[in-house]
Amino acid sequence: MATSPISDKVRTSGWEFVTKTVDKRALMKAQPKDPREELAELEAKGEVKVIHITEENRPIEVETLLGRTKRIPTNKLWHHKSCGQCGNIPGYPTSIMWFMNKLGLEYLDETHQTSCTAWNYHGSGTSNLVALASVAVRNWHRAYETGYYPLIHCGTSFGNYKEMRNLLIEHKDLRDEVRRIMNKVGRELVIPEEIVHYSEWLHVLRDKIAALKVHDVSHIVTTVHPACHVWKLVPEDVIYDPNIYGGERPAPTTAILLALGAQVADYSTWYDCCGFGFRHILTEREFSRSFSLERKIKVMVEEAHSDVAITQDTGCTTTLDKNQWIGKAHGYNYELPVMADVQFAALAAGADPYKVVQIQWHTSGWEKLLDKMGIDWRTSKAQYEAYLEELKAGREPEQLYVPPLESLNLH
Amino acid sequence: MSEEAVMPHLRLDPDDVGDQDAESLLQAIKSDLRYEEVIHGCLNCGVCSGSCPSHRFFDYSPRIVVQTVLSGDAQAVKDMMDEYIWACAQCYTCAMRCPFHNSPGGLVMIMREVAVWRGMEAVHRLLKPYGRVLLKVLSIGNQLTPDMIQPDFFPDWGPKIPWSSTDLAIKRKAIPVYTLQVTTSAWRVSPETSYELYTIYEETGVFRLIEQIDPNLYEVVSDMVEDLRDMVESTR
Ligand code: SF4
Ligand code: SF4
Repeated sequence: MATSPISDKVRTSGWEFVTKTVDKRALMKAQPKDPREELAELEAKGEVKVIHITEENRPIEVETLLGRTKRIPTNKLWHHKSCGQCGNIPGYPTSIMWFMNKLGLEYLDETHQTSCTAWNYHGSGTSNLVALASVAVRNWHRAYETGYYPLIHCGTSFGNYKEMRNLLIEHKDLRDEVRRIMNKVGRELVIPEEIVHYSEWLHVLRDKIAALKVHDVSHIVTTVHPACHVWKLVPEDVIYDPNIYGGERPAPTTAILLALGAQVADYSTWYDCCGFGFRHILTEREFSRSFSLERKIKVMVEEAHSDVAITQDTGCTTTLDKNQWIGKAHGYNYELPVMADVQFAALAAGADPYKVVQIQWHTSGWEKLLDKMGIDWRTSKAQYEAYLEELKAGREPEQLYVPPLESLNLH
Repeated sequence: MSEEAVMPHLRLDPDDVGDQDAESLLQAIKSDLRYEEVIHGCLNCGVCSGSCPSHRFFDYSPRIVVQTVLSGDAQAVKDMMDEYIWACAQCYTCAMRCPFHNSPGGLVMIMREVAVWRGMEAVHRLLKPYGRVLLKVLSIGNQLTPDMIQPDFFPDWGPKIPWSSTDLAIKRKAIPVYTLQVTTSAWRVSPETSYELYTIYEETGVFRLIEQIDPNLYEVVSDMVEDLRDMVESTR
C-alpha cells in the first residue's frame, strides 16, 4: 500500500484514536445481535422464507466489521440494477456484466425489477417504512422465484435493504403488514440470507479479476471514496480485512485496486461524504458543488496527487464527476477523472473504453489517465462513432447479454 | 410532552394531513417504529456535528436536532421541521460515529416523513423541484432516467452534458445490454412490475399522500396508472 505524505500528520492529530474508539465501537458494551441468527429462528418457526446462498452460488467467506463471517455469492446472480447507474453511468453495470462473462459466471438481468425507491425517500420523505419494505421484498421475491441470488448494484439500495432486512426481522407488525401486501401482488415474504453489494462480489473475486489485467497500473495513484450508504448505514455488515488499511477502513474497492497493482493514496477527508445529499444534488446544488470540490476533489488532488478518484456507488460517482467543471468559476482547475472500481478494473483488463466502460458519459477529463494507462482510446472513439452511424442506419445493436425471453414480459 | 408510553406505529395516516399541532407532531415522531432504534440517549458530545457535512456548510447541527427532540419542547421541534432538518445530507456519518450508537440522520428521516405526511408549509416549497423524480418513481419505480440529464437543468455540469442528450436513443442503443437500451427509464421495466408497484403505493397510502400534497402531480400519475392497469389486465 502506498503511503501518502499526510499519513504522519493524520496519525498525530488523534485521528487514529477516534477511528479506533469510535469506528470500531470499542465504546459499545454489547455488540448488536446478529440479524442472521434471528432470521434463522424466524425461518425455523415458519414465519418467513429465506433466500439461501447455495453451493451453486459458489460463496466465498469474508470477515465483517464486528468479526462475523459473511458469505458472498459469486455465481448465479440476479442483477438488482441501480437507476442512477443505468440512467447516468451506464458503463457501471456493463463493466460488471463484462467481467461476469469473462469469468464464465451465470446471471440474470431482466425487466421485473423496480429500484429500491430509497433515493427519493431520503431526499423527499414522500414514502414510508411499509412502502420501502414492500418494494424491497417484492424485488427479493422476484429474484427468489427465478432461482438467482440478488446482487445489489447501488449503495443506497444496499444500505436500505440492510435496514429493511433488520427491521423486518425485529418487528412482527411490519412483517405482517408486508406479508399482507405481498399476498395482494401474488408474492410471499422472503428475506435474503445476506444482503450483498457488487463491490463485495468484486472484492472476493479480486485475484481472478486482477489476473485478467493487460495494462500496467502500478504508476497510477488512486484515491478511494468509500460510499456512505455502503458502510455507514448498518456498518456491522461491512467487510474489513486486517491487511487493508490495518483493518481500520472497509476493505472492498481498496483491495481490488491493490490487487490490480495500483497505488492507493491516503487522504485526510476519506471519511467525508461526496456531497450528493439526495435532495441537495437537485435542490441545494451549491452545497453539492462546494462540498465535493472543497472536501473531496481538492484534497484528493492536492494532498494525495491522485490520478483518479475511485468510487463504489452511484450518487458519489455522479457528484464527484459532474461538479468539477463549475469550480473553474472560483479558480479550481481540477480535472480528476472519476469512475467506479469495476470500471477501472475493466479498463485495466482491456475492456473497450467506449463500448464497454462507456467512459464517454463521464464529464471530468479522463483522457490523460487513459493515456497514462496505455489505452488507445482514440481508436476506440473512432470505432464507437462509426458504430453509432451503423445503428442510425438500422443495424441491430451488439449485446453483452440478452435476457431469456420468458423473463421479459414486455407485452 | 408527557412521558406516557407511546404506541409504536408503522406509518402515518394520510387522514392526518394538516394536523400541525406541535404536540401531535412530536408524538408522531416518537411513536415511529424506528424511534427507539435511532435514539438511545445523548451525551451532548457533538461528535456527530463534528463530522457532519451539512454542519460545515449550513446553520445545522445534528447534536441540536437530537437534543431538541429529547428536550420535549414540541414547538422547537416543529420549528425545526419546517426548514432546519432539510439541510441534512443523509450520509449517516453521525450514525457511524456516535458513541451512543444513535442515528441522528435516521431521526431526521423520521422527522422529514412526519413533516411531509402532515403537509407542513415548507414541504410544498421543498418538494417543488422534485416533481420529475417523483413522477418517475411513482410511475415506473426508477428515480433517475437518461432523458433527465439535459443541459437546461444542469448548466453547471459543463460542456459535455449536451453530448449526453443529443442522439440519446442511438447512444443508449449502443450500450451493449438489452435492458438498458431505453431513454425514458433507467432500464426496461415490465408493465407487470409497475402494476405490482402501484398496488404497493395504494396499500401503503403513498398515492393518497401525493393526492393530498400535490394534486396536479397526482392527476398525471393516476392517468398513467389507469392506462397501465387497463393494458395489463387486458393481456391476462
Ligand atoms: S454524537 Fe451521539 S451522543 Fe454525541 S451529541 Fe451526537 S447524538 Fe449525542
Ligand atoms: S446524516 Fe445528516 S446529520 Fe448525520 S452526518 Fe450526515 S448530514 Fe449530518
